[in-house]
Amino acid sequence: MDGRRAHDARRYSHEAMHTVFEVYALHPDERYAAQAADAAFALTQRLERDLSRFIANSDISRINRLEAGEATRVGPDTLECLVIARHMFEVTGGAFDISIGTGLSSLDLDEDAFVVRATQPGVRLDLGGIGKGYAVDLMADVLEEWGLHAALVHGGFSSVLALDGPEDGGGWPLTLSDPAAPARVLARLSACQTSLGASGLVKGDHIVDPRTGEPVRGRRAAWVAAPRPATRGQAAADGAPRLAVTAVTDALTTACMVMSVDEIAALCARSPGLEAWVLEDHGQDGPGEAGLRHFGGIDSDGPVALQTGDA
Amino acid sequence: MAGEDGKDKAAPAAAEGQRKLDRRDVLMGLSTVPALGLFGYAWRKQNQVKQAAAQAAVAPREAAAAGDVKEVNVALLGAGAQGQVLTEAMQRIPGLRFRAVCDIWTEYNQRRVVNTLKRYGHEVNGYVDYREMLDKEPAIEAVIIATPDFWHAEHAIACLKAGKHVYCEKEMSNTLEGARNMVLAARETGKLLQIGHQRRSNPRYIHCHDKLLREANLLGRIVTVNGQWNRAVAADLGAPERYAIPQATLTQFGFKDMHQFRNWRWYKGLGGGPIVDLGSHQLDIYSWFLGSNPTHVTASGGLLYHDPATHEWYDTVMVIFDYMTPAGPAKAYYQTQTTNGSQGYFETFMGDQGTLLISESELNNPGSIYRDPNAPAWDAWIQKGYISAPVVPEEKEEGASGAIADVRESAAPDRHKVPITLTDPYHQPHLQNFFDAVRGKATLNCPAEVGYESAVAVLKVNEAIEANARLAFRPEDFRVGGTA
Repeated sequence: MDGRRAHDARRYSHEAMHTVFEVYALHPDERYAAQAADAAFALTQRLERDLSRFIANSDISRINRLEAGEATRVGPDTLECLVIARHMFEVTGGAFDISIGTGLSSLDLDEDAFVVRATQPGVRLDLGGIGKGYAVDLMADVLEEWGLHAALVHGGFSSVLALDGPEDGGGWPLTLSDPAAPARVLARLSACQTSLGASGLVKGDHIVDPRTGEPVRGRRAAWVAAPRPATRGQAAADGAPRLAVTAVTDALTTACMVMSVDEIAALCARSPGLEAWVLEDHGQDGPGEAGLRHFGGIDSDGPVALQTGDA
Repeated sequence: MAGEDGKDKAAPAAAEGQRKLDRRDVLMGLSTVPALGLFGYAWRKQNQVKQAAAQAAVAPREAAAAGDVKEVNVALLGAGAQGQVLTEAMQRIPGLRFRAVCDIWTEYNQRRVVNTLKRYGHEVNGYVDYREMLDKEPAIEAVIIATPDFWHAEHAIACLKAGKHVYCEKEMSNTLEGARNMVLAARETGKLLQIGHQRRSNPRYIHCHDKLLREANLLGRIVTVNGQWNRAVAADLGAPERYAIPQATLTQFGFKDMHQFRNWRWYKGLGGGPIVDLGSHQLDIYSWFLGSNPTHVTASGGLLYHDPATHEWYDTVMVIFDYMTPAGPAKAYYQTQTTNGSQGYFETFMGDQGTLLISESELNNPGSIYRDPNAPAWDAWIQKGYISAPVVPEEKEEGASGAIADVRESAAPDRHKVPITLTDPYHQPHLQNFFDAVRGKATLNCPAEVGYESAVAVLKVNEAIEANARLAFRPEDFRVGGTA
């Protein structure tokens, strides 16, 4: 083994879903790795066609036009993504809601016939909080199918999935930074077989709590990490449900922007392996004053070590 | 390789300010109450699958709500990217029963499509050789062909002669002889042969042709047409090493190696070059909208960028067609290149009273129509719903100056939208038209004869590039005479 390190990884980029997807891979055959990355990127294109609410003939657009009692057939991936989204709605007590309060529970998902039926009119889905993560999970399956195991995939840096790490025994080096002051690194992580999601506000943005319809205050960013289940991607081909960990962390980051500290702590407590960070925002205080809170994780020996300032 | 014991190393790492997240030993996110765990949806589904398996043999599930339509038994021949797109689109058409999938890439595409169809409730068999499929599956009534172009003629003709109706992807064939024999086989057998120029069934294109051009004549006399399909540089397609097709199979089916199998479009004798891959759809629309076939073609193409070792065809082509339309002469430009995707694909029809900009995409240039300032008003057509009210360019804040004009950056001309949206997947209406015809409820929107006319125009471009000359068409070139 030549002990290839994380910084030797080749990077491949592709624009889709209004962001840039990237694959970092360590593989001796550069051309082969590029072809594998292209095969993974092709998926983002297809998923965007099915999941985008901006494309008039996407599955999601068709759902968004359903009247009460109407139904439409969708692709298996769309349906799976909706099933995960509905589950995350339940897990977060409605804090993650792809219908943004327009009535997710009024959609019947027929998982056998791949049919979505509306029992009420006016449901408007937006998969912006889960689609990228779902795409990253599917991309990882493709990369592994191609034999690229030492890789990291991300969609717009907010939906990250680290597969096997480099051969020097370390993981993929990642940082969590303050969105209001990107030079301020809050934590340094080294990740393998782990999904990380981020959600944050840049100046002027706002995020609405779907449970109340009110804009959220006091949060600047949230991150969620979860271990990747060891199923190795073959499941979907056989029709078994995919353990789409990045879709899950993607959804949970959005939820962690609106959930109370107690709710986040409770969620982490009942979900072993789940880890969350919340960067609080106290308004008038300078960025340096924003405090990072940490929840969950498998280590019970205190909070994550932090580096603050311009380290 | 990173160990599974990362958490034990977390303490020293943390001391350096770095945390290790490497924890496959952690349970799969399932908590003590699985349904509430992060992957509870999968846990629930697995339980459902177990229950369903227990009841499976009792009552086989219906694939689609067939309603009162006659069920049609279907086979897919060619399960690559395009075959998969068509398969997905067909899931939304009621009354189809998939019986078989044929593809030589058994470990990848065939397996994928068979599994997808099984998820949709179809009991399908997989085949490598189409002849075996036709022998063993007598119930098949219609075959969807999405194999590489050089196989189309043989596949379509064999299916027609076996008594099947055929939907064949464009290009009809990579040779005129192949296309001609397909027309003859359709005539001889009396079976349907629809060619996959799916814009012919797209409601927006039909609206533009029938209402805006023919009925309302909104463009006046169309004198010029412009269009393109530009694509950014893309690497050659590869394949996962472990799923390589055995060399004997590749050779048997006309491929030199796995690279050629995956990138057949770039090889002469297999594909028809970029004008066929990309231009064909749009040049078909040129002739349809202009109401005539071209009289001459001039073309320049070259391999300007890609590696000639793996790209036998040109990668860039610019074409000018001459037409003698019922309204008078017209010229049409078309380009396709594969090094820069700027502006993607569209067609622009320019008349003396207006301009129509259209594309198949529901996202980019789905349909805009611009009125020439001197053309008669379009109010009546707006009221009839043929076009939208003008999309008024954003006004700057109105001043109280009393001036008749605010001198400023030039204003855009009136733009109207074509108010027709395709809400189904792109290929669904054309497939629907095919199956409606199979059931005797419609006529084909792109029967073999129409596909042939398009093939004649498009394949001539390759001749013109080769000859580096302006070539003429005779009207009879577009017709297939006689019988087989």
